[in-house]
Amino acid sequence: MSLFTLFWTFFKFGLVSFGGGYVLVPLLIAEFVDRRGIISTDAFGNLVSIAQVTPGPIGINSATYVGFTQGGFCGAVIASTGLVMPSILIGSLAVYYINKWKEKLLVKGILKGVRSAALAMLFYAVVIFLGMSVFTQSIPFRSLWNLITFHAPDFPAGFAFSLPAFLICGVTVVLIAKTRLSMTLLIVLSAIAGALICR
Amino acid sequence: MESEEPSISYGKKLWLLFYTFAKIAALVVGGGYAILPVVEETFSRKNKLISSEELLDMMALVQTIPGIIAANSAIYVGMKIAGIGGVLAAVFGVCLPSVTVIIIIAAFFPHLKPENPYLLGAFVGVRACITGLIIVTAVRLAKKTIQGWFEIICVTAFLILALFKLNPVYIIVLSMPLGILYTLYCTWRIKRSGVSG
Repeated sequence: MSLFTLFWTFFKFGLVSFGGGYVLVPLLIAEFVDRRGIISTDAFGNLVSIAQVTPGPIGINSATYVGFTQGGFCGAVIASTGLVMPSILIGSLAVYYINKWKEKLLVKGILKGVRSAALAMLFYAVVIFLGMSVFTQSIPFRSLWNLITFHAPDFPAGFAFSLPAFLICGVTVVLIAKTRLSMTLLIVLSAIAGALICR
Repeated sequence: MESEEPSISYGKKLWLLFYTFAKIAALVVGGGYAILPVVEETFSRKNKLISSEELLDMMALVQTIPGIIAANSAIYVGMKIAGIGGVLAAVFGVCLPSVTVIIIIAAFFPHLKPENPYLLGAFVGVRACITGLIIVTAVRLAKKTIQGWFEIICVTAFLILALFKLNPVYIIVLSMPLGILYTLYCTWRIKRSGVSG
């Protein structure tokens, strides 16, 4: 696979991956495992699990890995560059025009509405993250509703509360709200604490 | 573009963008929303280069344009702070940890199976910490940006829609006409009171 084809393939992926890196994984499987057959299903499964436990966004991790298998170091760089290129073009233009027109009534109105949506997303993110840390699964609201209305709560089988994770989360909230410790330091300390108590 | 430009040189802004986004990409796991706390800490509270409102604009924009959410956020912050040079510095920062680590793994440990219990525990720890960081950031941004009944009603309604699994993109699209209508209503009210008073 030539470096240009590699770049163009990932450029197209960058153009259609609305919603972030997770959307990319099925696209990669369709292109490189099914259509071209240049990466085995096994190797791809391993790639996804590696991409999740190594630093960096999953999308860029996967692009780097696929690029490396096709063209070594250059391939890795070219695949990642191709993937982010459409975002760079579209994103820069969008920010440029938002800045330019931010006093226009229409843009003001759009931003007014969008900020509320973004704030709601952020609170929703709290719920999602609770389901990935303090609880072992996403929070089942139906069961909670049953609990409140005095019916049998019937929580799903794998759903459990993790006290160590709850402690890490609670301590983080208190430390960030009350002290001037940096967030990165807290993340590193939590990784160590997690390795020791969250097994 | 900002009225009170802080005394940070262009070169220093580029370094700050590169360094912060490299740090974020290397440390933060869990996808798009997870990076917001560190962005808020660095660019909003410490260096006053971006406002709380602009951070919310960023959250909405990065989900409506295609691409990796972390990279899109880097592009937004980079463009706001230092133009196209800032975009390149921030995107380079986001990509560098991935490219380095994955190339090392692919070249030297192609059969690595990441099922070490300590490693998995560390990930639970990091996610629990990020949960806490997002809680604090969400409350901070809410305090700074909620100005009246419009925001309170919208945020509550949108949160309920999100909990019912409505796609975030639809929520963002839905919020736009509501914001436009409210802004028109506000200007109409100001005009009317201007005429009568």
